[in-house]
Amino acid sequence: MVSHGHRPHRDDERNSAIMNPLKPLKARITDVRSEVAEVRTYAFSVDSVFSARPGQFNMVGYPGVGEAPVSFSSVPHKGSFEHTIKAVGRVTGFLSGFKKGDELFLRGPYGRGWPMKNAEGKDVLLIAGGVGLAPMRPVVQRILEERELFGDVNLIYGARNEQNLLFMHEFGAWGKSISLRLAVDEISQYSPVSTPEAKDVKRGRKYHVGLVTDLLEKVKPGPETLAFVCGPEIMMRFVCRGLVMQGVPNSKIYVSIERRMKCGIAHCGHCQHFGLFVCKDGPVFSYDEIRGLPDGLL
Amino acid sequence: MSGNGMTGENAFRSSKKLIPKEAFFHWLDSLRKRFRLLGPVKEGSQTVFRDIGSSKELSMDYGSTMLSPGKLFIYKPKEELFRFSFNKGASVDETPLTAENQVIVGVHACDTNAILYLDRTFLGGYRDPSYETRRKNTIIISLNCTQVTPNCFCSSVGSGPFLRAYKGYDILLTDFDESYLVEIKSRRAADLFNMEGKAAGSKEMEIKSEKEKSMLDQITKKVDVEGLDRLFLENMDHPVWRHTAEARCLSCSNCVMVCPTCFCYHITDETTMDLKMVKRIRHLDACQDIRFAEVYGGNFRSQRAARLRQFVTHKMNQTGQYGVPGTVGCGRCITWCPTGIDLTEMTKEIQRS
Repeated sequence: MVSHGHRPHRDDERNSAIMNPLKPLKARITDVRSEVAEVRTYAFSVDSVFSARPGQFNMVGYPGVGEAPVSFSSVPHKGSFEHTIKAVGRVTGFLSGFKKGDELFLRGPYGRGWPMKNAEGKDVLLIAGGVGLAPMRPVVQRILEERELFGDVNLIYGARNEQNLLFMHEFGAWGKSISLRLAVDEISQYSPVSTPEAKDVKRGRKYHVGLVTDLLEKVKPGPETLAFVCGPEIMMRFVCRGLVMQGVPNSKIYVSIERRMKCGIAHCGHCQHFGLFVCKDGPVFSYDEIRGLPDGLL
Repeated sequence: MSGNGMTGENAFRSSKKLIPKEAFFHWLDSLRKRFRLLGPVKEGSQTVFRDIGSSKELSMDYGSTMLSPGKLFIYKPKEELFRFSFNKGASVDETPLTAENQVIVGVHACDTNAILYLDRTFLGGYRDPSYETRRKNTIIISLNCTQVTPNCFCSSVGSGPFLRAYKGYDILLTDFDESYLVEIKSRRAADLFNMEGKAAGSKEMEIKSEKEKSMLDQITKKVDVEGLDRLFLENMDHPVWRHTAEARCLSCSNCVMVCPTCFCYHITDETTMDLKMVKRIRHLDACQDIRFAEVYGGNFRSQRAARLRQFVTHKMNQTGQYGVPGTVGCGRCITWCPTGIDLTEMTKEIQRS
C-alpha cells in the first residue's frame, strides 16, 4: 500500500547504551525576532554537533511544561539553527516568554524532510500557507545557496491578511532568485478594496486577494514540476487537487503534515496515520502515499 | 546468563526433552536465587501474572489473563524517564533503571508473539533503553495452551494456540499430563536448563501435533484476515463504524489497556512542590481518548467512530506498519469491553457487505 519514494533517514547508529533517544539536549537561545503577532523566530545554539535537513523537526520544550514538535525554519549552519514558533498551545505559549540568553531543551532532528536531491535539475513549486512557510524556509535558503542546481522556482504564499505574512523582510532577497506570489484572504489595513488585487503601498508589493489555489493557474506547473506544499491540511487538500488538475502527478507532490506527537521516534503512537508514523515516515510525504487515508483531509 | 543471547541468535544445542512436572518445577524454584520469578496465579475467578515465591503458587492450566506479561514486566505501564533539576540552570539526568533478572513462566503463544510485536516498536529504528534492558534481563518460558476461551481467535492470525515462533524467547513447554515437553529455544536457556530427561523424538512430536489439533478444534472464533488492508481502506465510511461507536462504544479504553500489542504512550512532567525538580514520566495512552490525536486548531479523531475505527483497523490490518497484523488474537479486548464490542464481528460485517 505504501511505497517510499525516498527513504526516511534515521539515526540508526545511535547507541542506546550511550544515549536515550528521548533525552533532550540543552539549547541556548542566541536571538529572538518577532515576525508577526504571536509568531517569533528563535535562533539556537547547542554544545554538541548538530545537523539537520530541510523539513525535519525537533521536539522543543521545557521541563514541567512539555515538548512540542517544531520544524526547522533554518537548518544548522555554523552551529546555529532556527525555529519559528506561533504561540498557540501550552508549550509554544510558554516559549513565547523566552528571551535571548535563556536555555531550553530540545531533541532531534527527527523525520524525513523535503526531497531536495530529487528537486535538483527540476522546476520547483513551493506553496505555503500561514506558518507553513516556516518549514519551507530552509528549502528556499537551500535553493538560494546553489541556485543553479534548480530550474524555475516559484513560491506561492498565502496568509489570512497582509499582517500575517512571515519573513517579509526576506522577500526582497528571495524575489531576486525565485518568483514570489502572495495571496491574502482579506486586506485588513488598506480597506476597502473591490479589486481582486490590492497593493501594499508602503512596500510596493502586490497581493492577490483570495485563495492560494487561484494562483496555481498563473504558475502553470508541468508534469515534471516538483511541488512542495505546507500549510493547514484543508488548504493542502485543495492545493493538491488543484495541482493534479494542472497535470502534476501525485508522486511529484510533497506535503508536510502535522499530527500530535510525544516521542518523535515512532514509539508513542500518537502521530499514527493509518499505519504510517508521521514522525518517522514523514512529516513530509508524497501525495500518493497519504491521499485518501482516513482521519485526514488529504 | 550469556550476555549477548537475548534472542538466542547464537548457535546453541537445541534440545527437546520430556521432564516430569515435579522435576521441572523443582528446577524452576532453584532459579529463585538468581531471578525474580513471575507466573500465572489464580486469584478469585481470575488468573493473573505476578511474583511467585514458589512454583506451588502457579496455576499453569489457565485460559487467559486480563493483563499480558509483556506489558506488565517488560514494557512497563508507567515509568520515570528523566529528572530535571534547577540548581544554577536546568540540567537533565536519566533516571537509573531498575531491571532485575527475571523469569516469566507460562507465557501463552499469543502473549509471546505480542512481546515479539513490541520488539518491532521498541527495538526498531530507535531503541528504547529501558525496554531493551528488561527484554535482555527477562527469561521467557512459554507455554502451549491447554485451554481455549470463547474469545480466542489466535489461530486465525497464526499466533496460537501453539507457539510457532523460532526465536525471541527461551523455553517452550507443552503439557504432557505428568510431564512437560521442554523445548530449548535460546542459548542462555541451554546454559540454564541443565536437567537430564528423556529426549523427545518423533513420537512425542506426533503427540504434540495431536494436542495442537485438539486445541485448534476447540477454537470457535474465526476471522479471515486475508485482504483486509484493501477492504478496510475501501470501507472507511462503512456504517458499522458509526453504528457500533454510537450504539455501544464508551471510549473507556479498556480494549487498549488490556491489549498485549498496544504500545502507545504519553509523556507527562511532574513538578515537585518546591519547584526544584521535574520528573518526566511516560505511561500508557489510548487512541480511544478524545485528546489522543488533538492538535492546535483541530482533532484528527474527534469522532468516537473514528477512534474505534483506528483501534480495529490497527489491530486487524495496517500491516504496512510492521508487515504483520497488530493483533495476536488473544481476544482480551472482546472479553473486557463493557459492551461486548467484538472486532472480529465488525470485520465480518464489513466482509459480508
